[in-house]
Amino acid sequence: MTRRMLTGLSLVLVLAACGTAAPADVPELPLIDDVILTELLSTGDPLVLNVWASWCIPCRSEAPLLSAAHETFGDEVSFIGIDIEDTQNAARAFIAEYGLEFDNYFDRSGAVRSALGGVGVPITYFFSASGELIYRHNGVIDERTLSLQIDEILNR
Amino acid sequence: MEFTLLWAALLAFGAVWVMLWLERRLGLDPEDRSFDTLLGAAASGLVAGRIAAMLLTGTNPVTHPADIILIRGGVDTGFASIGALLFLVWATRRSLPAALDLISPAILAGLAGWHGGCVFRGTCLGTRSELPWAVAQPGSDLTRHPTELYAALLFLLAAVGVLLLLRRMRGGVPTGLVLAAAGLIRLITEPIRPSLGSGPIWWYTSAIVVGIALAGSAFLRRAPDGGYETYRNSRRRPAEE
Repeated sequence: MTRRMLTGLSLVLVLAACGTAAPADVPELPLIDDVILTELLSTGDPLVLNVWASWCIPCRSEAPLLSAAHETFGDEVSFIGIDIEDTQNAARAFIAEYGLEFDNYFDRSGAVRSALGGVGVPITYFFSASGELIYRHNGVIDERTLSLQIDEILNR
Repeated sequence: MEFTLLWAALLAFGAVWVMLWLERRLGLDPEDRSFDTLLGAAASGLVAGRIAAMLLTGTNPVTHPADIILIRGGVDTGFASIGALLFLVWATRRSLPAALDLISPAILAGLAGWHGGCVFRGTCLGTRSELPWAVAQPGSDLTRHPTELYAALLFLLAAVGVLLLLRRMRGGVPTGLVLAAAGLIRLITEPIRPSLGSGPIWWYTSAIVVGIALAGSAFLRRAPDGGYETYRNSRRRPAEE
């Protein structure tokens, strides 16, 4: 019995140590304001804009999916993350843990979300190349919806 | 939101319940325990598939246990199937082959309900298409295949087909046919389903191969006289008789 418990405990500890990366290599997130947001929306590229926070459990659920989407469509579509109502250290730890390679900005007050519309986190906005908001997804996004809406913004 | 998944799940279990009710009406399931068994198998499959998906995408289920309930974050099809099968092995023990034959039409019906639940989830549409029945999402002029509805319809047809032939088939054949049908339907709809990759094609292909092999070997095996029911009764534990 004791041996089984020790084996189980060891397994849990090994698993708990997996996948946690040091945030030291992740730079501080730049602050975002209306000017930067307008610039991001007018680059002429389709854009997927994801609003997240490190304390948000559903955001953790969709982070690997967004990372995979960036890997697949990163050449055709811009991906931007906006961390809201958070701390820089927690945000950097989140980015390190999930290996997010797209640009992320810091918005302590959640002003960008207020400007774009929507409540809660996560929210994912899909903008066409002309900067038009094509679709807003409230809550955790799934692979089908993400792929479908990326196809929409690529072709409109 | 997650509530839309709940509606899809309710539709799936509604379809399972209807199919098992039909089996009882046809005198195929006198035990009336199949729904509980399938409920347990589905829950086990979801948990196993979700944990596998988390591990495969780099989320640690030990440090983030609450993430397990976020089904929309992804469920690995292969590990979900293994989890469900392990539960069935545990729940049915020695009568597994007969139990699998018995619940096989209900599994297909449940899959039909789950895919049809795309109506609630807003995830029915697939790749672009110019076919007359292709539909566009609100505000868009890009028409698309209603991919999930194709899958739902195919699963439903397969479920009804297996149900109607269940009594005439030798033991093991329904399970093999259902496995092959499920793999085939997912395989042929995968190319018109929006995704980040090519999907678990090899899982679907394996299901077809194993399903055909299972059905074929069961068909060629010298079966007890009377087919399905005799086979099923022969697999019952003495205590059940």
